Amino acid sequence: MDESHDFQIVRPDQGRSRMRSLAKADPGATPFKVVVVKGLQGVKDNTKGTLIVGDGSMHFAHEAVKKDLAANSIEDVVTGDDSQRVIRGTVGTLSWFAPYGAGRFLSLFRTKLDTVTIKYLDADGGLHGAILAMPVGQAEVIKKDLLAQGARTTVTAEDLAKAPAAGAKEKQ
Amino acid sequence: MRELRMGSGAALHGLRFGVCLMVMMVSGVGAFAQDKPKPVKIKASAIQVDMIHSDEIKLPAEFQVSLYEDLIEQLQKKGGFAHVYREGDRNATSAGELVILKSNVTGFKEGSQRKREVTTVAGETSIKIHCVFSDKDGKTLLEADVTGKVRFFGGNLRATYDFAKATTKIARENFSATT
Repeated sequence: MDESHDFQIVRPDQGRSRMRSLAKADPGATPFKVVVVKGLQGVKDNTKGTLIVGDGSMHFAHEAVKKDLAANSIEDVVTGDDSQRVIRGTVGTLSWFAPYGAGRFLSLFRTKLDTVTIKYLDADGGLHGAILAMPVGQAEVIKKDLLAQGARTTVTAEDLAKAPAAGAKEKQ
Repeated sequence: MRELRMGSGAALHGLRFGVCLMVMMVSGVGAFAQDKPKPVKIKASAIQVDMIHSDEIKLPAEFQVSLYEDLIEQLQKKGGFAHVYREGDRNATSAGELVILKSNVTGFKEGSQRKREVTTVAGETSIKIHCVFSDKDGKTLLEADVTGKVRFFGGNLRATYDFAKATTKIARENFSATT
């Protein structure tokens, strides 16, 4: 059994100090603000937190919740994009009851998002999938960092470079 | 007075007839319900869910992962199986009465949350998936086409939750740990 595939439950104080030590040890390790949309074992859906890629792992931290995922257990990393309503949460829900279709009008205002989708294996060899959302422009950086740490991907930079060319051909 | 009596008699007769008719209908429905054969459930104590495939349809990675994770979550919560294993889980090989669920996407239409929220009628997201439940030896036990949709509220990924709920219902209705 490969121990490196195991998740580690880290105490909050340990996690924070580890994050700091990681950032110090590897100055290139940038913390990213991300939202775990779903699928990261032991982390609730739509949890906001900080992601650091370094030391052969992907580290996610949100208050008491700390998760380490070995980069070599990541079978696939794929980036994507999405959008979300600017006004969300309780105010966003209440806006639906605003008169004259104001709620609908507010839906037109959206922010763009990047997404990173990963597939990884647990200690028993079970396949998991996780979706992370982050501000625009960060997905490719996270993917690059994960690949540098030993993660794999089915969609390479060459594939992405070819895709627009193929799309342009189809349009013609 | 006589007319009234006659009228009340006729009304009473009608009432009796109506009651008789209702009793007959209810007993008829009851008899029909009794005659309806209950589906025989296939004995299965564990299920292994394989990653969703899309051989012919180009499916975004986030939808593929979301379908898989939602399906596992729903089966764990409401599937009625003692164990729900993921693809590749080594523990599944030793599980008795294991059912393997393979799913293949046959149709996909990515809608738009913005269009749904603004227009209500446009922007529907739908995913059509062919599900095959088989035993360890690969013998097909059950096949079903399941559709997941999001019509009005929610993000596009909500369609995957809809699919997971529908598939779990099918599994619950057709498989049981105790037959």
